[in-house]
Amino acid sequence: MMPMTDCDAVMRQFWDYLDGELNEATMAAIDAHVQMCSHCNPHIQFERAFKAALRSAREPVAELTPLRDRVRAALAAAGYEAP
Amino acid sequence: MNPTDSHPPDFEAECLRWLPDLARYARSLARDDDLADDLVQDTVLIAFKSWHQFIRGSESRGWLFTICRNRFYRVHGREARQVAADTPELETLAATALFAAASPQGLGDVFEQEEVVGAVGDAMAALPETYREVALLIDMHDHTYESAARILEIPVGTVRSRLFRARRLLQEQLLTHARDLGFGVARPSAESREGRP
Repeated sequence: MMPMTDCDAVMRQFWDYLDGELNEATMAAIDAHVQMCSHCNPHIQFERAFKAALRSAREPVAELTPLRDRVRAALAAAGYEAP
Repeated sequence: MNPTDSHPPDFEAECLRWLPDLARYARSLARDDDLADDLVQDTVLIAFKSWHQFIRGSESRGWLFTICRNRFYRVHGREARQVAADTPELETLAATALFAAASPQGLGDVFEQEEVVGAVGDAMAALPETYREVALLIDMHDHTYESAARILEIPVGTVRSRLFRARRLLQEQLLTHARDLGFGVARPSAESREGRP
């Protein structure tokens, strides 16, 4: 059975929840609460948007071919033979 | 590694496939493309030479990130600063208070604004290293708390407290930035309301 939860429990665990670090039952309980709670829902949306903003600022990965070639050359010089 | 073992069969499959992630992480640490490429090369070479130490079945991506981080701090003579233990619960409450203050000011959707999202990189760069490296691993490189703890060689509880502190500091900076840009509408204070004719 899904455990009951309340606003206080959600607020104490919201980062763990948004990071997917809670067990399945607790995640489901918080999901259910957040969907119907007009107090918690906007807060969770706010924090979700914050996490999305952070992720969107990830360092871009440039063209990797030169780096890959360089790494393979260094490995070869160190004695590595590609299979 | 046995010196004659010049082509460990799974080194390529286990390590080189993570090159894009490793390159991104190295750039996050070094904040300079040339230094980052040097760091990636050093990391892969160290991994190759230490391949015999890699525990099969464990997470090779996390292992590479650990090598990369250790190499970065060794080469640049930096030492991850030890800080007093923070309290994750207090940091969580502080983040709740930030939202409670921002929402009535019309800043409830502030992290969806392009101008604010564009300031994340600078805000992240301004964080103290101790907090920045945890936020980098979890918020930008998708590591779990446990994986970040292994890479940083600190307890999971410390990861949580540093992560939550990092996020609060980032939110404070970004909210200040948003207000400076004119986002949000200041709520009239009780005094000004009382003084209104």
